Amino acid sequence: MTGPLYMQGVFGFQASLLVAVAIGFLFGFVLERAGFGDSRVLTSIFYFRDMRVLRVMFSAMVTCAVGIVVLKWAGLFDYTMMLDYSLLQTYLWPQLVGGILFGLGFVIGGYCPGTAVVGVASGKLDSVVFLGGMTVGIWVFAAGFPLWGSFYKSSALGRISLPQIFGLPMEVVTAAVVVMALAAFWLAGLGEKWAPYDK
Amino acid sequence: MRQEVEYVQGFWNPYVAGIALGLVLLLTFYLMGAGLGASGAVARTAAVVAHGVAPQAVEHNGYFSEFYKAGAKNPLTNWIVFEVIGVFLGGIVAVLTARRFRPGVGKGPHASTGLRLSLALGGGVLAGIGTRFALGCTSGQALSGGATLAVGSWVFMMAVFGAAFGAAYFVRREWS
Repeated sequence: MTGPLYMQGVFGFQASLLVAVAIGFLFGFVLERAGFGDSRVLTSIFYFRDMRVLRVMFSAMVTCAVGIVVLKWAGLFDYTMMLDYSLLQTYLWPQLVGGILFGLGFVIGGYCPGTAVVGVASGKLDSVVFLGGMTVGIWVFAAGFPLWGSFYKSSALGRISLPQIFGLPMEVVTAAVVVMALAAFWLAGLGEKWAPYDK
Repeated sequence: MRQEVEYVQGFWNPYVAGIALGLVLLLTFYLMGAGLGASGAVARTAAVVAHGVAPQAVEHNGYFSEFYKAGAKNPLTNWIVFEVIGVFLGGIVAVLTARRFRPGVGKGPHASTGLRLSLALGGGVLAGIGTRFALGCTSGQALSGGATLAVGSWVFMMAVFGAAFGAAYFVRREWS
């Protein structure tokens, strides 16, 4: 059957919530097995002690991106439908600023939201505190919305992909991401040997 | 060789874990047309908690009001909230089957618990604000948007890792 199944109307909203729990279960299981339930493992990347986060993230991204190309070629995935209706929309400046704030929160707080949930399942008190902090942060964002609401909606470029920006087929950009990942894996090994914080 | 510390033992090879994670993500796109996420569930929970205390203020708030439009479902009756419940269940099963449930605080060997927990709170606040501007986090933007080559997700990813590597020096005592 050609995906995305939900968008093609193969199953409805209530079934999608069951799918959500099942998908989430797999996601949480793999995150824990990857070691992502512990803030020490997650932040080791920023000190070049263990580049596990980079290896997992990049190989996951590449696996999925190549998988989408394969499904598209096999006629099992309506790529155009995703581009037109569900690709994440770009808000250039808010996403840059949000990324900087989030990056600071990640290295200071020790988690990102999904891994903090696995941290709670692992019994880590710091992940509970991190999630509490996130909740407060979201209240702060909502309280200050009159101040930054217009910035939040600014530089809206819509559902735009890298292949469209570069004017290249998505297969070519996917291949470039694969090459980039291989280079990153190589550099990760060099970074661990460098270990600038552990002289 | 670098000595392996106790807490990194028993995890999957990172490339195996990455491929497994990528297949879960691919399955999500095949089934739903959209990817994984996490921060949206925290935002919806934050909205519902605030609504319990001050319903009027939340329904008229410029940001939270999008969860409380007339005729809308409960903000928690949502795909991402159910997905995150699944993440918690999957995490518990993984932790228990690996016999890795160890209550405690993750921090550098020389950092105090008070320092670590204060920074977990402060970092959480920053991350929470960041996810709202960026419309997502590491799973929703970096991983899912990255794999589908969305432009804003790549901008987000570069900003996250640029800021985190840059700031790491200043909080090195927390993790050393």
